[in-house]
Amino acid sequence: MAAIAETRSDYRQEFEADSARRAGWLAPLQQRGIEAFESQGFPTRRQEAWRKVDLTPITQHHYPRVAEPGRVSSALTDKLGAFPGHRVVFVDGIYAPELSDLGSLPKGLTVGSLAEYADGAPERLTEVMGERVDIDAQPFIALNTGLFRDGAFVHVARGALVEQPVVIVHVATEAAQGHAVYPRTVTHVEAGAEARVIEQFVSPDEIEGLVVPVSEVHAGQDAIVDYHRLQEEGAAMRHIGGVHASAEGNAGCRVYSLASGAALSRVDYYADLEGEGVDLQLKGLYLTEGRQFSDQHTYVNHRVAHGTSSQVFRGILQGRSETTFDGLIRVFEGAEKTSAEQQNRNLLLDKMALSHSNPRLEIFNNDVVCTHGSTVGELDETALFYLRSRGVSQAEGKSLLTVAFANEVLENMRDERVSNYIRDRILDRLPGGENMRSSA
Amino acid sequence: MAVLEIKDLHVSVEGTEILSGVNLSMEEGKVHAVMGPNGSGKSTLAKVLAGDENYEVTSGQILYKGQDLLEMAPEERAREGFFLGFQYPVEIPGVSNTYFLKAALNAVRKHQGLQEVDAMEFLELIKERAKTVKLDDSLLQRPVNEGFSGGEKKRNEIFQMAVLEPELCVLDETDSGLDIDALSAVADGVNLMRDGKRSFMVITHYQRLLNYIVPDEVHVLVNGRIVKSGDKHLAEELEASGYAAFDESAA
Ligand SMILES: Nc1ncnc2c1ncn2[C@@H]1O[C@H](COP(=O)(O)OP(=O)(O)O)[C@@H](O)[C@H]1O
Ligand SMILES: [Mg+2]
Repeated sequence: MAAIAETRSDYRQEFEADSARRAGWLAPLQQRGIEAFESQGFPTRRQEAWRKVDLTPITQHHYPRVAEPGRVSSALTDKLGAFPGHRVVFVDGIYAPELSDLGSLPKGLTVGSLAEYADGAPERLTEVMGERVDIDAQPFIALNTGLFRDGAFVHVARGALVEQPVVIVHVATEAAQGHAVYPRTVTHVEAGAEARVIEQFVSPDEIEGLVVPVSEVHAGQDAIVDYHRLQEEGAAMRHIGGVHASAEGNAGCRVYSLASGAALSRVDYYADLEGEGVDLQLKGLYLTEGRQFSDQHTYVNHRVAHGTSSQVFRGILQGRSETTFDGLIRVFEGAEKTSAEQQNRNLLLDKMALSHSNPRLEIFNNDVVCTHGSTVGELDETALFYLRSRGVSQAEGKSLLTVAFANEVLENMRDERVSNYIRDRILDRLPGGENMRSSA
Repeated sequence: MAVLEIKDLHVSVEGTEILSGVNLSMEEGKVHAVMGPNGSGKSTLAKVLAGDENYEVTSGQILYKGQDLLEMAPEERAREGFFLGFQYPVEIPGVSNTYFLKAALNAVRKHQGLQEVDAMEFLELIKERAKTVKLDDSLLQRPVNEGFSGGEKKRNEIFQMAVLEPELCVLDETDSGLDIDALSAVADGVNLMRDGKRSFMVITHYQRLLNYIVPDEVHVLVNGRIVKSGDKHLAEELEASGYAAFDESAA
């Protein structure tokens, strides 16, 4: 117990050391965050939602927050250009204007860093930020809320149509070795507006640090939001993140996720359907190899009537990797005419890979249609033979079938650059897929 | 020249012998029909020719264009011009028919030392070939065989054959489950491809298809052995007398 008490106080000390430079408007939120973390402590395996995760590498010793951002290697700088768009880059949690490209923002779009609002924030930021994330249910979300120093704010004004995506890149550098980074992003798309956001997490392969991000995405009435989250950190990183999407009446909100990086990657996705007629899609792909561990949890809350939600998660596992998908559909009292589906399928490409799937339904209402299903399987040998019998090589056939397996997540993405990009990342891990690359 | 020579072929599945000494020789450019009752081993023969590893060749030899076929991987056989039209074509969700066929065609072309097919040329080629087998254009972009009717799946096999232009085509019960229109479309597809060099092994249960695709030789496979061979009239005899007589002689 003593060790844990000490660990907690390390994080509190960090919080207190920040007090002098913390923006006034953020002080109450961050205070609540650190208090919530202190009262919960790190989760243990006795808690159902953390049963499969080995957090000891994180809880055994303190990861101090990176003090000064490090240098971004040229390999990572190349990654920054993966998507054209309005780009905002954070290095070790701090805004990096020299790597960002916010030149010609169209009318109605604001993209910037939270640090810009040292003297006070506009209502369009404060009315969303920290309003919905559940700091009492998830200690890492609380920890981020207490300790983030900077972050991105994306705002799309009422009725505005933003054509190019907003690209938010979080780079962790050598400075993150043994240290923690707390990226924070707030996206607020107002009523009737439409926007796309790509949030990407990268780091060098050998750096072992802790990245604890929180992203809040809010879609106003009738808004259309496509939010893409690409978690591609290096193989030694530990990533424990939260996404909170919320949507008002008739909004269309699509959350896409790729989780392919880090030794440990845990993401909790919360989605709140707050107004009637919302269409919410949550689609994720996790790719694991070696000894990677990936743990994806969803909480889709149908709070009002006439909501539609669809969750599709697929896992592609190689080596001795292990994955968990734990998905919840919760239909509240009064949320009649809800239609909710959840589907999780896992493809084991190697015999030693291990996948767990845990669908959950909590329905407090009779008038709903909910479906769910989960499978774990290997490549279809009959299909592979069929492909080979037409001249396709074994390796190319495997790649083809593996990409096909992922297609249900990818094929309806509105931004082909993102789906092509993800397809290429799948092919990076498979020999024989050269002909299938988006550039080929 | 013999395109295919099967010598004393014995094949087992999970320890049970299915083919018990098959001998068969096909000359280039010929159409051979293999007929036999259900369960006699026709599909087993086809799968072994294609290289399905679920079937174990316990003894015997297969020469394809003089090469040891059993030494070749399934994809090598295809690239060398071997084609199997499956009795039960496989559904492959997430892979479009067009994409699959392009990958296959390019694999064959690469093997032949040809350049990859240009995207426009390829589209024209598949449109034209789809017409010859009366395959609905809309099926081209759909995932391979997914949601296809039985007849569409069989036409799709013939369509693939028409695009890949193989040298030896084995068609495993391509006629079963087809109505008369589909049957004649399939037969037209085959007949158009008969050019005196390309060879066909038409596996069928009924004589019906052989009214449209007239064979040079007919073989009767019963209980894993070829019990009789003859010309096209053998098929007509079989239609009249059934397989019962052979069954006894084989037992
Ligand atoms: N993959 C397989 N596994 C087990 N038994 C099989 C398999 N394929 C064929 N058989 C058996 O082999 C015999 C011949 O089958 P098959 O070659 O499909 O006959 P046909 O095509 O002439 O109807 C049958 O008894 C069938 O049950
Ligand atoms: Mg058969």
